[in-house]
Amino acid sequence: MGHDILILAEHLEGKLAPSTFELVAKGRELAAQSGGVLKAALLGHNAGSLAQGLAGYGLEVLLVDDPALAEYTDGGYEQTAVALLEGHAPRVLLVAHTAQGYDVAPGIAGLANLPLVTNAVDIRLEGDKLVATRRLLNEKIQGEFDIASDKTFVVTLRPGTVKPAEPAPGGAVNRVPASVDASKVRTKCLGLERPQVSDIDLASADVIVSAGRGIQKKENLRLIEELAKLLGGVVGASRPLTDMEWLPKTRQVGQSGKTVRPKLYVACGISGAMQHVAGMKDSGLIVAINTDSTAPIFEVAHIGVVANVLQLLPAVIKELKA
Amino acid sequence: MALNIVVCLKQIPNPDLQFQVAPDGLDIKRDGLNYKINGSDEYALEEAVRLKEKNGGRVVAITIGPKRAESMLREALAKGADEAVRVAYDDPAAFDVGKVARILAAAVKMIPHDLVLTGVQSDDYSNSATGGLVAGLLGLPHVSVVTKVQVQGATLEAWSELEGGLQRKYSVGLPALLSIQFGANIPRYAPLPAIMRAARVPIKEIAPAALGFASWEAVALPYTFAVRGLAPPGAQDHAEMISGSPEEQAKTLARLLREKGFVRR
Repeated sequence: MGHDILILAEHLEGKLAPSTFELVAKGRELAAQSGGVLKAALLGHNAGSLAQGLAGYGLEVLLVDDPALAEYTDGGYEQTAVALLEGHAPRVLLVAHTAQGYDVAPGIAGLANLPLVTNAVDIRLEGDKLVATRRLLNEKIQGEFDIASDKTFVVTLRPGTVKPAEPAPGGAVNRVPASVDASKVRTKCLGLERPQVSDIDLASADVIVSAGRGIQKKENLRLIEELAKLLGGVVGASRPLTDMEWLPKTRQVGQSGKTVRPKLYVACGISGAMQHVAGMKDSGLIVAINTDSTAPIFEVAHIGVVANVLQLLPAVIKELKA
Repeated sequence: MALNIVVCLKQIPNPDLQFQVAPDGLDIKRDGLNYKINGSDEYALEEAVRLKEKNGGRVVAITIGPKRAESMLREALAKGADEAVRVAYDDPAAFDVGKVARILAAAVKMIPHDLVLTGVQSDDYSNSATGGLVAGLLGLPHVSVVTKVQVQGATLEAWSELEGGLQRKYSVGLPALLSIQFGANIPRYAPLPAIMRAARVPIKEIAPAALGFASWEAVALPYTFAVRGLAPPGAQDHAEMISGSPEEQAKTLARLLREKGFVRR
């Protein structure tokens, strides 16, 4: 087993995913702990300039360029990654915990029978062990777990938990001959579909008042709308509300919805699951209102109110109108 | 095409509850917790039953967990599953997803399957790993975060949700595994006669020997796993809290918003 750290770059429509630069930062840390070198694997087609861009962060990029890798598929990525792991035997294969990352990383670990940790908020190497910090039970419990093995650890790192790396000198691109067996690719990408947009653009709003399950009934959205109006803002929502179609998908804040950075974000009855927090944690001022004082939203909020939004909001609206 | 569908379900503590760490620091306190079916697994079950209703076939609901999980399996039977299987791995915590997935893969292998469905993640441990691991171990093609599935002859079309609301559309050869996203459908309520019927259906129980393991401890793993410790997350960067009666809280919040220049009038 070597000491190198290998990150799996993610890209879409000719751009590297922001999470890839976070992997570079965490990978550097791990390489320092293991005494090895940080490398990146980039799988794609006609991806030479992407690989050059990533090499600008001071690491060797192993580029596998093949028409069969033009779009992400589990079959194409997994067999290529497994072949790279056999050739390079890194200590850790680091992948972002994104929709693509948590599809491919467990697939690789299952296929090659390797130890796996997913959705880690932190990891470190201690001897033959990987120590992973994870969040459990709606972020209310934090756990540290020891996984000991002489095989490559496959790890997904939650986006937004480390600062992205800055460019650095000394990188290079090395083309690795592709070895994609098309008969093993039983998933075919038929294309990307974009949501139809005919609504306000949440991302351009200065003030967002968002509603979560805590508002209990669709009728109570009028409280959120009224507060938003008084603050010159627009109404957003957490995923459960757009799933129930109380608000259109375009209003959903979070990992699978919009990422927003308004000057003011008011979270009304939102517990703060990772999926939501990922989309709003960089807002200027975050005010959270929730009945549960242990709700994880209070960890990212600047101002917190433990209260029932249905009681508090009418009183706040009255105060603001006075 | 009629489909043999295996849907993997997990019973979890209601994540809206408060949790405390057990005195040994290695688990949460479990007395008095109430358990429910994992959120996205409800959508996976509904998708399985709808695919069967539309295309014909059979749905087997499977879980790994203690006896208490039988209540969830009966709910699945009442909602349209044809058979329920409990793998009797009784560890109430079961933090090691790699071990659970290897046991699950061994169990799924014994059941005829064209399609295996899981939820996108369990809301207790949030690994989003079980589906991909089982697929990898069984050599099945897989698609995660699926919001829509259609049968097209001997293949499936599946829409996979990416960050920012983008969807990737795939064609997948069978047999395959899909992890189903929250909100993929509207789960049904079980009608009362079906609940009554489900109460009498025997639940198949699987012991380690049936899967070729001498014991659950003897499941071969490429690593060793240990819980180092659980704790409430650090109170770092905790919000400045506004206290008082609701009226006082409202007054303070309104004043703060005014002071910071966010009030339009």
